[in-house]
Amino acid sequence: MRVGTRFFALASAAFAFAVASADARAADSSGAAPRILSIGGDITEILYDLGQQDKIVAVDVTSMFPPEALKDKKSVGYMRALSAEGALSVNPTLIIASDEAGPPEVVSALKSSGVRYVDIDDKPSAEGVPNKIRHIGSVVGADDAAKTLAAKVEADFAALENDRKQIKSRKRVLFILAVQNGKATVAGAETSADAILKLAGGDNVAASLNGYKPVSDEQLTEFAPDVVVVMHRGGGDPHMAGQALTLAGLSQSPAAKTKSLIAMDGLYLLGFGPRAPLAARELMKSIYAEGANTAATTP
Amino acid sequence: MLEARNITVKRGSKVLLSEASVAIVPGRLTALIGPNGAGKSTLLRVMAGEFRPTEGSVHLDGEDIRSISAARLATRRSVVAQSINLSFPFTVLEVVMLGATVPGFGVRELEAATSARQALRAVGLSSFEARTINELSGGERQRVHIARALCQLSAAPRPSSETAALLLDEPTASLDLKHQADVLAVIKEQSKNGRAVLLVIHDLNLAAAFADDIVLMADGRIVGRGMPDDVLNEDLLSHTYGCRLRIETGIDGRRLVFPSAITDRLSKGAVAE
Amino acid sequence: MTTLDAKLASAGTAVRPSRRKVFVALTFLLIASAVLSLAIGPTGISLQALPRAIAVSLGYTDDLAAARDRLVLIDLRLPRTLLAAFVGAALATSGAIMQGLFRNPLADPGLVGVSSGAALAAVATIVLGQGIGAPLIAPLGIYALPIAAFGGGLIMTLLLVSIAARQGQLAVGTLLLAGLAIGALAGAISSVIVTASDDRQLRDLTLWQMGSLSGASWQKVFAIVPFAIAIALLAPRLTRGLNGLLLGEAEAMHLGIDTERIKRIAIATTAAAVGAAVAVAGIIGFVGLVVPHIMRLISGPDHRVVLPGSAILGASLVIFADIVARMALRPAELPIGIVLALVGAPVFLHLILKRGIGGSE
Repeated sequence: MRVGTRFFALASAAFAFAVASADARAADSSGAAPRILSIGGDITEILYDLGQQDKIVAVDVTSMFPPEALKDKKSVGYMRALSAEGALSVNPTLIIASDEAGPPEVVSALKSSGVRYVDIDDKPSAEGVPNKIRHIGSVVGADDAAKTLAAKVEADFAALENDRKQIKSRKRVLFILAVQNGKATVAGAETSADAILKLAGGDNVAASLNGYKPVSDEQLTEFAPDVVVVMHRGGGDPHMAGQALTLAGLSQSPAAKTKSLIAMDGLYLLGFGPRAPLAARELMKSIYAEGANTAATTP
Repeated sequence: MLEARNITVKRGSKVLLSEASVAIVPGRLTALIGPNGAGKSTLLRVMAGEFRPTEGSVHLDGEDIRSISAARLATRRSVVAQSINLSFPFTVLEVVMLGATVPGFGVRELEAATSARQALRAVGLSSFEARTINELSGGERQRVHIARALCQLSAAPRPSSETAALLLDEPTASLDLKHQADVLAVIKEQSKNGRAVLLVIHDLNLAAAFADDIVLMADGRIVGRGMPDDVLNEDLLSHTYGCRLRIETGIDGRRLVFPSAITDRLSKGAVAE
Repeated sequence: MTTLDAKLASAGTAVRPSRRKVFVALTFLLIASAVLSLAIGPTGISLQALPRAIAVSLGYTDDLAAARDRLVLIDLRLPRTLLAAFVGAALATSGAIMQGLFRNPLADPGLVGVSSGAALAAVATIVLGQGIGAPLIAPLGIYALPIAAFGGGLIMTLLLVSIAARQGQLAVGTLLLAGLAIGALAGAISSVIVTASDDRQLRDLTLWQMGSLSGASWQKVFAIVPFAIAIALLAPRLTRGLNGLLLGEAEAMHLGIDTERIKRIAIATTAAAVGAAVAVAGIIGFVGLVVPHIMRLISGPDHRVVLPGSAILGASLVIFADIVARMALRPAELPIGIVLALVGAPVFLHLILKRGIGGSE
């Protein structure tokens, strides 16, 4: 009976393998240098800025800055689709994770695994960034470096606020997350895009919406922004930038008439990591530049 | 033994059957004949218990079949439908065994296989046992289902005092001549062995050859019943079928029925009436 | 006899392998897959650590390394393996039942609306859970999604049954068509809700629809136990009924089968099984369609073999797929739906080309 023998063979192989496989765990480094698992692009950035990069053993896939992070370190995948055993397999002594990490069962398993698990509040705001920095600094024992970094960020945000007050007439800005099938998804209130737009002194025309929402051409016409902001994946993505202004709903907008389109790197712009004030400042500069036109900026 | 009393079946405004009463008796083969649309199949299905008539009732040994469970009914009668669409690769033996492995029969696998083989032998398909049913021709498939119905009757646990009925709807429809004769012979033997047989058949000559009783239907009504010689008369048939029919007596004394339009044309070469 | 003659001669003949051999082989395969699943994982901990792990469970030791072993073996891999087995068995058995009920080898458990109902409920929970739906959903915590998915599947099935039921009789044809229509409607409503989602919710949804066992936990295992028992009790009652139903409803009735009862048990079993599976693992396709096919290719269409065989084979398949899901890209994870499709589809194609579909040939 052909099939049965095949099953038997497969099963026996599996059995043998299972029973015979020796322990292949990574060398246990208890007591030695801390091993950090960083989950969240902004958290990884902060760790690098605090000079803690050598302690990081693995990151999640949103940790795109600095580029070395994903190149040098192992990746545990997308931060909302973690694997408990996968995370544990990198043998971390400390897990620093955005509060957006998931799925919830995996997070709870990691929290009860005996490894120290630190939740980082990831709400996008000017106060949030220095708080994050200080929190992470205290966790990894780099309080001084954290204090300095946080202070710098605060100072930068304060300067930014000053400059914001100087703005006589605020420009109307629209953030487009994506364009699919000719339909644009824009950033409403309660998004990191909205937060950074406001920090840059812009007026979010889509603030009446909540979250990232797809909108009709008619609504776009109503928005009539002066400037449109989009993301690109560092290195420049001309397509999206080009598409945005050609949307029918924007054709009559001041943005289209003055060709005012700004494209910035996604993590830089929205990550609310330590570069946040820089991103906001660049954005502000681009929005209010004299004779504003297409400006693609990369950090 | 199985009696339909005043069956009326209405579907919306259409009347399929109108006050039809038929009774079949153990040891006799009753043929149900008539033109298309006469309601023959409908009557058979009502008698099989497949659905309830709008009016009237069916009785098994005097008991209304509405109060008999499907499982108990299955021990007393089996049915061969006109066509069965089976799209799964059962073997012939497996299909016939479905007749024996009825839930509630309590028949063991081995006994079921034996019953099935007997039934297959009866319809002349013994060598087909391991073939997949999808590979068979229409006629062969029909015989398999007949075997299944036979198997069901022989495997059913039934006190010897109880008789069984076999209901068949056009079992010879897709069979070639040799098999038509063979199958009808098997069915006739079933009736000789004490089963009550109801046979819906459109071939009048076959009906004449094999039936003990004939029931003639048209437009949902019964227009004639009795022994073949009585029912098969030219006027009644011509009227029912709406064309001139001639009855001849064949070599062995049996009735042979011809639409006379054909024979007239053949003999005279003239236009028929 | 040339090989052609031999082929022609054997074409259309079916020699069924001994039932006992088939079940022994399948059981062996299942046990082996389960043991393998316990033995393999990204942390590299092997079965040799099992005695230590058990010692910790029983309270004999406090050693940190042993505690880690216990966590991985007993709190992560074991519930995951059990859940994978349940999901595989539930989906495969339901697939076999649906193929018998609809007399169609291409039927799939989703046809009675369970999957689309569960998906709709999941979409609503993920997207509206923090907005409009918060008061309802928040208190349920991490159980919100599974409970919603299960509830959605159940409601959809009941809706479907009420549409297809006429005078106490379930019309299978109506069931099929209504199922398709309702599925389309549920999909449309889902899409509407999705337009209100933000980027993160959209990603969560996409992941859920690819299926994953990474959220396995003992709570989920306990939650599915009643369903596993229900399936184990109900499915065997369907075998002969489904065999008879394959001939047609009227013929089944002639054979003494209570067709209405069979239909209802079939749908109830499927709804419970698929609802529970989707609730704990998200949408996992392919298993319900393909595993019964493979069983039929091995042992023929008799449901007395196909139903239990599918359960065992389905369980093994999903366990193996889960092993691949968590090892292929470690320390990251592949959604299991993708693994099943990537590996299973070519295998299935190969089977079809070699032996023909296990339905109409």
